[in-house]
Amino acid sequence: MINVPARSISDRALSTLNASFKADRDLRLKGYSDAMQFLANPTIFMRLANAVLPWAWTAAALCFAAGLYMALISSPTDYQKGETVRIMYVHVPAAWLALFIYVLMAVASAVALIFRHPLADAAAKAAGPLGAVFCFLALVTGAIWGKPMWGTWWVWDARLTSMFILMLLYLAYLAIWQAFDDPHLAAGLARVVALVGVIMVPIIKFSVEWWNTLHQPASLAKLAIDPAMLWPLLLMALAYTLFFLCLHLTAIGNEITARKLRAARLKAIAST
Amino acid sequence: MTAAFVALIRRDLLLSYRGGGVGAALAFMLAFLVMIPLAIGPDQETLSRLAPGLMWLALLLAVLLTTERLFQQDWDDGSLELLAMAPLPLELLCLAKALAHWLGVSLPLAIVAGPLGILLNLPVDRLAVLLLGMVTGSLALSLIAAIAGAVTAGLRRGGLLIPLLVLPLYVPVLIFGLATTGGDLGPAGATPSLLVLAAIVLITLVLQPWAAAAALRAYFR
Amino acid sequence: MMDLAAAHAGFVIAAYAISAVFLSVLLAAVMLRRRRLSKEEQKLKPGGDGK
Repeated sequence: MINVPARSISDRALSTLNASFKADRDLRLKGYSDAMQFLANPTIFMRLANAVLPWAWTAAALCFAAGLYMALISSPTDYQKGETVRIMYVHVPAAWLALFIYVLMAVASAVALIFRHPLADAAAKAAGPLGAVFCFLALVTGAIWGKPMWGTWWVWDARLTSMFILMLLYLAYLAIWQAFDDPHLAAGLARVVALVGVIMVPIIKFSVEWWNTLHQPASLAKLAIDPAMLWPLLLMALAYTLFFLCLHLTAIGNEITARKLRAARLKAIAST
Repeated sequence: MTAAFVALIRRDLLLSYRGGGVGAALAFMLAFLVMIPLAIGPDQETLSRLAPGLMWLALLLAVLLTTERLFQQDWDDGSLELLAMAPLPLELLCLAKALAHWLGVSLPLAIVAGPLGILLNLPVDRLAVLLLGMVTGSLALSLIAAIAGAVTAGLRRGGLLIPLLVLPLYVPVLIFGLATTGGDLGPAGATPSLLVLAAIVLITLVLQPWAAAAALRAYFR
Repeated sequence: MMDLAAAHAGFVIAAYAISAVFLSVLLAAVMLRRRRLSKEEQKLKPGGDGK
C-alpha cells in the first residue's frame, strides 16, 4: 500500500497513479555499466593528453611571444585613438574565448547527455572556471579600454552588457557544481544549466543589441581592422586558444584523478 | 493523459491558493513599490518616465520569489517521486506545474502590476499596452522559473542560486516587454515587440518541459 | 614601438598587466591542483598504505 502524504494528492489524481516502472529504472542500470567502461577510457585520454601537451605548451608560448611582440612593438597605432588600441589585442581574444568556451561547455554537456560519456562531464566541468576567468578578463579589459575611449569606466553598450550577462551564466554554472555534494547529481543538473544557457544566449544577445539601438541611435564606429592590426590580433587569439587548450586538458586530467581518488576513498570506507 | 494533466494543474492551483503563493508575491510587490519613491525621489516626472521599467522589475522579482515553491515542496515530502511514477510523461508533469504557476501566480501578478503602476504616475495611455505585454510575458516568466525550480528542487539552501539562474534568462522578456511601452514606437506601434515577446514565450514553452524533466531525471537517478 | 609616454599608455599597461596576472594565477591554480592530486594518487599506490 503506497503511503501517500495527506495534503498532496487528490482522489482523482490518486486513481490515475499506477506503479508503472519508469525508464529511469533502466537508465540506472545502464549507468552502472558505463561506470565500468569509465575505467578504460580515461587512461587512453590521459595518455593522449600527456603526449599532446608538451607540444601545445610550446606552441602557446611561441604564439604569445610573437603575438606580444607584434601587439606591443611592431603594430601601428590607430590614428584617432592612439596607443589604447593595443588593448584590443588582449580584450578581443579574451571575449572570443569566453564565448567559445561557453559553447564548448554546452557541447560537452550535450555529449554527456546523449552518449552518457563520463569524460564529457569532466570536460564541461573543467571548462567552467577557465571560461569564467576569460569572461572576467574581457569585462575588465573592456572597462579599461572604455575609459580612454568613452571617458567612463563602464558603459552599458550591447557588447559589455552581453558579456556581463555571460559572466552571470558562468557563475550560475559554477554554482551548480558547488551546491551539490553528489557529483552525479551535480553533473546531471549542470548539463541542463549549460544547455539552457547556450540556447538562451543568442536570444539574450539579440535582445540586448536591440535594446542598445533603442538607447543609442548613433552606432559606435566600428574599429576598422587594418591588416597590420589583424595579424597581431589573430596571433594573440591563437595564443589564448592554445593556452586554454593546455589548461583544459590538464584540468580534465585533474578531474579524472580526483574521481579516481574519490572512488578509492569510498571503496576503502565501504570495505572497513 | 489529459485528465491527469488537468488534475495536476488543479492540484497545484489548490495548493498555491492555500499556501499563499500569490499573496506573498503581491505583498512583496507592494513593499517594493513603496521603496521606489524613497529611493529615487517622489518627483512625478521621473517616476512617470521610469514607471513601466520599475513595474516590470517588480513583476520579475515577485515571480522570482515564488520559484522555490514550484518543485521543492513536492520534492521534500516525496510526492514528486510519486507523481513521476504516474503514466503522465515527466515532460508533461513539468509543463503542468509551470502552467499552474502561471495561472496561480504570474498571471494575477501581471494583471495587477500595470494598474499598480499608476501609483508611480504611469502614463495612463501606456497602461493598456503595458498590461498586454506583461500578460504575454508572464507565461515566459513562469516557464523560465520552472526550469530553475526543477534544477534546484532538492537544494535546501538553493534560494541564492535561483536568482542567478533565472534573471539572465529573464533579460529578453524584460527588454521586449518594456519595448511595448517605449517612447516613440513608430508606425507599427507596440506590435513588433509584442510579437517578439510571443516568440520568446513559444521558445520557452518548448524548452521548459524538456529542461525541467532532464533536471528531475538527474534527481531520480 | 609603443610610445610609453603617450597619453593613455597607463591604460594599456594596466590591461596587459591584469591579463598577465589573472592568466598566471589560473595557470598556477591548475598546475598546483595537478601536483596535489598526483601526490595523493602516489600515496594510494605501491608506496602508500592503500587507505
